[in-house]
Amino acid sequence: MLTFIGLGLYDERSITVEGQRALRDANRAYAEFYTSELIGTSVADLESHHDVDIEVRDRAGVEQRPEDILDAAEDEDVAFLTAGDTMISTTHVDLRLRAHERGIETRVVHGITAQTATSSLTGLQNYRFGKATTLPFPYAHGADGLPASVTETIDDNRADGLHTVVYLDIKIGHDRTDADEYMTADIGAELLAEEYPDLVGVVVARAGSPDPLVEAGTMTDLADRDFGDPLHLLVVPGDCHLLEADALVELAGADRDTLDIV
Amino acid sequence: MGRRKKIVQECERLMDEPENIRNIAIAAHVDHGKTTLSDNLLAGAGMISDETAGEQLAMDTEEDEQERGITIDAANVSMTHEYEGTNHLINLIDTPGHVDFGGDVTRAMRAVDGALVVVDAVEGAMPQTETVLRQALREGVKPTLFINKVDRLISELQEGPEEMQQRLLSVIHDVNELIRGMTQDMDDIEDWTVSVEDGTVGFGSALYKWGVSMPSMQRTGMDFAEIMELERSDKRQELHEKTPLSDVVLDMVCEHFPNPVDAQPRRIPRVWRGDAESDLAEQMRLVDESGEVVLMVTDISMDPHAGEIASGRVFSGSLEKGQELYVSGTAGKNRIQSVGIYMGGEREEVDQVPAGNIAAVTGLKDAIAGSTVSSTEMTPFESIEHISEPVITKAVEAENMDDLPKLIETLRQVSKEDPTIQIEINEDTGEHLISGQGELHLEVITQRIEKNQGIPVITGEPIVVFREQPQEASAEVEGISPNRHNRFYISIEPMGTELVDTIKMGEASMDMPEQDRREALQEAGMDKDTSQNVETIHGTNVLIDDTKGIQHLNETMELVVEGLEEALDNGPLANEPVQGTLMRLHDARLHEDTIHRGPAQVIPAVRQAVHNALIDGTIKMLEPMQDVRIDVPNDHMGAASGEIQGRRGRVDDMYQEGDLMVVEGIAPVGEMIGFASDIRSATEGRASWNTENAGFEVMSDSLQREKIMEIRERKGMKLELPEIVDYI
Repeated sequence: MLTFIGLGLYDERSITVEGQRALRDANRAYAEFYTSELIGTSVADLESHHDVDIEVRDRAGVEQRPEDILDAAEDEDVAFLTAGDTMISTTHVDLRLRAHERGIETRVVHGITAQTATSSLTGLQNYRFGKATTLPFPYAHGADGLPASVTETIDDNRADGLHTVVYLDIKIGHDRTDADEYMTADIGAELLAEEYPDLVGVVVARAGSPDPLVEAGTMTDLADRDFGDPLHLLVVPGDCHLLEADALVELAGADRDTLDIV
Repeated sequence: MGRRKKIVQECERLMDEPENIRNIAIAAHVDHGKTTLSDNLLAGAGMISDETAGEQLAMDTEEDEQERGITIDAANVSMTHEYEGTNHLINLIDTPGHVDFGGDVTRAMRAVDGALVVVDAVEGAMPQTETVLRQALREGVKPTLFINKVDRLISELQEGPEEMQQRLLSVIHDVNELIRGMTQDMDDIEDWTVSVEDGTVGFGSALYKWGVSMPSMQRTGMDFAEIMELERSDKRQELHEKTPLSDVVLDMVCEHFPNPVDAQPRRIPRVWRGDAESDLAEQMRLVDESGEVVLMVTDISMDPHAGEIASGRVFSGSLEKGQELYVSGTAGKNRIQSVGIYMGGEREEVDQVPAGNIAAVTGLKDAIAGSTVSSTEMTPFESIEHISEPVITKAVEAENMDDLPKLIETLRQVSKEDPTIQIEINEDTGEHLISGQGELHLEVITQRIEKNQGIPVITGEPIVVFREQPQEASAEVEGISPNRHNRFYISIEPMGTELVDTIKMGEASMDMPEQDRREALQEAGMDKDTSQNVETIHGTNVLIDDTKGIQHLNETMELVVEGLEEALDNGPLANEPVQGTLMRLHDARLHEDTIHRGPAQVIPAVRQAVHNALIDGTIKMLEPMQDVRIDVPNDHMGAASGEIQGRRGRVDDMYQEGDLMVVEGIAPVGEMIGFASDIRSATEGRASWNTENAGFEVMSDSLQREKIMEIRERKGMKLELPEIVDYI
């Protein structure tokens, strides 16, 4: 049995009770933190909190050499852990399919993910989001400046009146830098301001932590602010329902005149 | 005022009159007498003393050149010559004849408008005669012929007038055949064959400093009988005084070589692919000395006092001290510290060098031989290094660790001076690789490092450079990214020789306007649709993008190209470069989000697809070959041809020429290492020989595996081939 368990957003207590039970029952636990990580805790704290040993895998250890994880899952209960929800912005459906190919039973225990937290914290309605996109560090993608996929996603969503979640790049264990790098919202806003200086963005920082922050402003404004510790993401609101607008003004300090209210 | 100073002043005056300038190169097969001839010209112009010309070898300035008795670098010199009452400025470049230094010849040809081809009367046209002619004609440089060592026909071989005439005519005939063959497809060049009647052929003896041509014989009233008489009775000094070689040759240069104003309108379209309608093109065609500055650097040398000196042809504008100029391929500008011209081995600083001249410049720290230097950003000149690819590599290590930084700097310098040298610096192991045109080439380079820089080095055994090339078209192969969300569908096919040559010559490149590239590729046999989809050219390999409207592919293409280049630089068999392959990208499936299709995903996927496609196309190892020609007395012929055959070589032809037998064949470069001493002992030193690089050939099947494993072991790679290689 291979159980995919989302650890949630912030620390060792962000996991669901169901997830905690599944993790404690597992014979082995593997984790990856290259797509995202829990800012409020460490692997050691996770291990002691849940009283399990966790083997952390790098990208190649999951994508190219997952055989031993699957071998173990043939005979034992194996847990595979990621931050957030294992199947949302990460792409572990591939691992699940490989398990199915080998006849291994699988199960998903959901975690809270940035996508739902974003709706929750901003008051923007879940029904009114379009495609999400990730804003990569300039060195990490092949093109110059903003990748077309980012601007196209924002433009298409806005044309349809929809909000866009813009995930900000995270480099963990990347060979370019020794330290992990998190793109902060001011940097993200600065990159977006090249194309959209006056567009309103909403920063969501440290969702799931005890001190989350939500702030709205034009991209040019946001580029000059400091939002504190990671992780951050940006939302580009499309047309706002009256209540959405009220929420952005009240919860994120938005200037009502800058919003497209329908 | 010294004589030299006077000449400099006269040169400066003449530099402003392009109609009276001739930029010329002297080129020939090794030992046919180029440098001795150059010295004659210098002496004639009063640059060195008359007595020492021929012995002095003023143009061979490096110590090793005078020692070896051959020219290694191309040397520059300016001189003046009065012809029909007008003084002319002649900028002369002497070029090496040995095949290993062909890069210098190619570069020199870019700077000049006329090539004086020297041929030994006894030996006749030889392999490098053909090579230098080809290099000249390709650059749109007009040839004339000087047949040297005629004294040997008269005094040594005791030939009569009839015999001698026959021999000279046959040399002229051979040279004309070569010229005709090489120019028949060149629309911009009319009849450039040479003839005695036109005065484009001279004869004589550079050693004894006499020469004649039809016009000179008419002028002096001398005929062949008189010349033979004087030569035979050892009255060579009298012969020299009556009909000095330098006058005959320099008259020929002034009369028959084009001046820059005649030459540049024809040469610019041949060597520059920029917009022909632009002002800049117009300025270059018109040799406009007040236009934008355009300098094509053909040589970089080191001066112990002045540092790095860049020399080259000024095609437009005027070079002056203090100018800030762009250097192609680098960012920012370089400031000119001094400008000058060459007088013998030395440089003379002058105030400015206007268009149409050959200049020596300091301060261009980013320039390498082949750079385009200009006052405005422009399309660079055609690359001039495409003819010769390195075939031999040697490891170089500093004997003392302390010398390591100095050695690295010197190696970088060497590759700047001679772009046919490739340098691979490995700071981790300290074992650097230099690759060049042949054993002698590398030997000279390493000796210069030791002598000139005083760095004792340890060199490894010479290693041959190999290539990998598919033999047939592959099926469409899938490359999957590690996260399995991105897939690339690629097939490969070997490219025809004509296409490969077109790319190798730089006649189709990514630097040129798309329309021109398309036409060049179509002319070489690529079909129209394919030529419209060329995405990139890497080495002699081409990527065709056959996909249509795939979302996000454009922002991923740079990574696709990166993966492809990695795959091609390190072929699947033995990490040797892949050549002559056409790749088609048929389809791609990409993840929606950039993060999941970054370099870590795309590069390995493409590399895997290209390698698997190459293997499906039966990729094999190619080794570099050399044409070999041996001239040997009849009784040593067996031994000589045995030396070729014993080296996995093939003898193609054996025939009599004069009293010698000529053996012609081809052999792998790898087996030719050590040939020089072996042939000497096999023929008791009676053979003379030439080799010329002849491209790469597929190795026989029986040798493939052995050679691949040998290279893999040397490179510390796994000693097993990918499983899908089932044909080797």
